[in-house]
Amino acid sequence: MTRLTMETIDDVIELVVDHGAEDLDLRAVRFVDPYALLLLDLLATRSDDRSMRIAWPETPAVRGWMRAMGLFSDIGIARGGSPSPRDLESTLQPIVEIADEDRIGRVVDGFHHRLEERYPLTESSRRALVAIMIELFQNIPHHSNASGEADDARGIAAMQDYEGSIVLAVADDGIGLRGSLGLRPGFEDLSDADALRAILDGGISRFADPGRGGELKRIAAVVRSWDGVFALRSGTALLYFNTEGGDIYDVPEFPGVQLGLRLPRHVFGIETVDP
Amino acid sequence: MSPMDTATFRIARFGTRLGTRLEGERARAELAGALRALPDGGQVRVVLDGLDVLSTSFADELIGRTYQHLVIGEFGERTMVLETPSAELADGIDVKLAQRRLAMLCLLNGAWSLIGQHTPAMDETLRLILEKGTTTTRELIEDLDLQMNACVNRVARLAKLRLIRRVQIGMNGPQPIYELHSILES
Repeated sequence: MTRLTMETIDDVIELVVDHGAEDLDLRAVRFVDPYALLLLDLLATRSDDRSMRIAWPETPAVRGWMRAMGLFSDIGIARGGSPSPRDLESTLQPIVEIADEDRIGRVVDGFHHRLEERYPLTESSRRALVAIMIELFQNIPHHSNASGEADDARGIAAMQDYEGSIVLAVADDGIGLRGSLGLRPGFEDLSDADALRAILDGGISRFADPGRGGELKRIAAVVRSWDGVFALRSGTALLYFNTEGGDIYDVPEFPGVQLGLRLPRHVFGIETVDP
Repeated sequence: MSPMDTATFRIARFGTRLGTRLEGERARAELAGALRALPDGGQVRVVLDGLDVLSTSFADELIGRTYQHLVIGEFGERTMVLETPSAELADGIDVKLAQRRLAMLCLLNGAWSLIGQHTPAMDETLRLILEKGTTTTRELIEDLDLQMNACVNRVARLAKLRLIRRVQIGMNGPQPIYELHSILES
């Protein structure tokens, strides 16, 4: 496996979760996107009894990017000291912890600042992206441990730009969409896939208040209108779509909710660089 | 409505990029205070000028929930309207009011219109009442060429949503007769 992305990271999860691999060999990996990076982070730090040995990518650029994104310090391992200035320059937004709703404004401002610093963005797309980040980030304190049963549930986010796209990822290892929605009477016994459908298609929230819910459904619609790629994973279900279509797929069980958006750069008024 | 009965509530005082539900909830306490500070029948104009981003969550906590409380009579006969420099900024409010089955008068580019959940019939009736300033159901029936029941229903819906003021001026048998007033300053 050479690319870890929204499309392939579940192969890694499967090795660990379904096949109980204790050694994870990522040495041949030559590309990692932020969605896969966050899942690797949660996989490496999840609180279970098993110890897993990970052989990290050997390609210096990939390893340097992962270091500059804060993965190794986030999961508490030392890998070659501090990131180089070049690696730091190549990162757009390293991994950020999302815990307290009071701090979300500052986190969003940080993402916004880094993006604006690097590109002149169109006003409407910049505003839409900021609004999307506010909604996605606050879902973590609102829902990831709504039942109080997740020990040390973590929420993290990161963003990276590429030649033709920008990838934004948000992930937690909390109770998941099924766990959150299941707190609402009438929605207790849904499968992961049914919970995804209820939230994405029906705009349902764990709150009975008619003003709650619908944000993820609207974000999915915006991403579709931008010809982007959308991945929302929770438990054993993944809703994925790109410009060619999409569906809900079975995936190996993993706690919490993980979301990735791959947005074409032209949406933000950023011209694609000719190779 | 005298100038003493109106107040302006600028959301940008809370920041330019807003925000989470928690931030909206905190702002709502101030909006409720601004409404209560007015005499009964007074009006708060919520102004979006100066904002860069308004999330749907903040919009719902501040505007959607307050308007819901207004409609159920928590603020007496007070009313609330919106003023926005762009349709895009009011989009989250529009979405959340519709989700709550509410509608609100919104001023954009010098023209008033409804945002939230509304029908062409509501728009037509409200526009006429705003133009006239004061009218009666009987006049509306003639002007809009409507059946009595249809007109009464439209007016009742507009009054329930605090989009017009309805004052009982008499009875026609068991039926109350109302005078209908625009909630906008002439």
